[in-house]
Amino acid sequence: MQLALWQSIALIVLAGLVPVDKYGMTFGLRWPVITSVFAGLIVGDMATALYIGGTLQLMSLGIASVGGSSIPEYGVGAVVAVAIAATSGGGVEAGLAIGIPVAMLMVQFDVLAKIACGGLVQYAQKLANDRNFKGMYATLLCGPVLMFLTAAVPMAIAVFVGGDMVNAVLNALPAWFTGGLTVASKMLPVVGVALLLTYMPASKFFAAVMLGFVLVAYFSMSMLGVALVGVIVCLVYWGYCADKSASSANNTVMGELEDE
Amino acid sequence: MSNETKLTKADLRRAALRWMPMAVNTFSYQYQQAGSVVFALGPALRKIYQSDDEYVEALNNHFNYFNAHPWMANLVLGAALGIEDEGGIAAKEAVQGFKVALMGPMAGIGDSLIWVLYPTIMGSIAGSLALQGNISLTLIWLALNIAFMFVRVWMFEFGYTSGTKLISMLGDRVSMLTETLAILGLVVGGALIPSVVKITTPLTFTAGESVTEIQSILDQIFPFLLPVLATFVCYRLVKGNKVSISVLILIIVVISMVCAAFGILS
Repeated sequence: MQLALWQSIALIVLAGLVPVDKYGMTFGLRWPVITSVFAGLIVGDMATALYIGGTLQLMSLGIASVGGSSIPEYGVGAVVAVAIAATSGGGVEAGLAIGIPVAMLMVQFDVLAKIACGGLVQYAQKLANDRNFKGMYATLLCGPVLMFLTAAVPMAIAVFVGGDMVNAVLNALPAWFTGGLTVASKMLPVVGVALLLTYMPASKFFAAVMLGFVLVAYFSMSMLGVALVGVIVCLVYWGYCADKSASSANNTVMGELEDE
Repeated sequence: MSNETKLTKADLRRAALRWMPMAVNTFSYQYQQAGSVVFALGPALRKIYQSDDEYVEALNNHFNYFNAHPWMANLVLGAALGIEDEGGIAAKEAVQGFKVALMGPMAGIGDSLIWVLYPTIMGSIAGSLALQGNISLTLIWLALNIAFMFVRVWMFEFGYTSGTKLISMLGDRVSMLTETLAILGLVVGGALIPSVVKITTPLTFTAGESVTEIQSILDQIFPFLLPVLATFVCYRLVKGNKVSISVLILIIVVISMVCAAFGILS
């Protein structure tokens, strides 16, 4: 069976919506079994779609994007696999053979999109300072468009040009480029942390920064634990400040009395 | 201080509905979710601040590093809006401190419960049923996700009410609150260095027969030495306005590619 043009486009849109939904509404398109229901509706073969979705779902259990890290997207893999199975009659294996490269290429695009978003948001902030608020909102809306493209472009290549092309693109990328992007994606959060520290009174309360660092570096404490320790420090500091302001208030009262 | 609050329930619902589809969709390494925060809160902030100057100041305040679980963020952002509505621009540092202080623990709860536990349970059952051609649990899962949308809108409103209460309860002690929240935020900030900045070296050197990993030596000297150094250098550069942020990012990307090519970093 050959996919009609509307089916191809619908599948590309569905694939593009996977990252947009994962990063936003989270209705569940990132979970292959849910995505495959929609893919099944598009190609008109729900039984195969469900089987592929179920297989991929069980494969992807426990995998989650935590803290903005980039991982292969099984939801997109499901869309590809259902499309391939519908056209070639091949099963899950045939679909995965193309689905995994598409998901891999998407990871590279994901890092690039996040680097590009940095420029977008910076430009939006500049527009805000220029009092161009409409432009600011429009610029920010480009973010989801970029995320849509990270999956829609590899999907479009797979659908219109063929799966071999995706592999060719993936192989053509030099190792220093893909490896460099991986290193960069791990190193770049440093900019955000540095900005955060710049914005807050980091030099005045340097001890607080050290405390947080030591708790994780030496005690591998979870963020929740770190925050609880932070709350304890704050309560002590709060009590100290309240004491100080109370005693200084007392002093003024005493002083006034003596004046009389 | 203590102006009348200006936001209605409709404004909050609008902010929540602007946040939810955007959330991580403007994610960048330096701002994280800040772009989406501005997009979501913008109209509500406009209502709080009539003057352009104050509005821009408030927007710039929200163009700062924020990263929380997109569902749990509804609580944090609702409360931040509550603090801002009650305290005005004077509370801007309290708002930022509050957001930073809560984003870590919220991400902790959200990542473990919402990203891992919930989909693992639903996914394993829905997946096995789907293999037998049974679609029912998949549809229930989808319906649950849609139903949670209403819970998330409610979380935003609940956060707002709590934030407003917090500020009116403290009255004129807001400056003390700001300082305390800054400490909490900085503790979380310090904890972010070893948890989100991941720089390690695969380099080894051979002395006679024994191969020594440089990373393990570095770890013995000082754990997370490379992330700490990188944070310090970036902090100095940003603080001194020596380079613009985009140039800094470009430099890091180039360094990453060069180091990956020569196998210095992995």
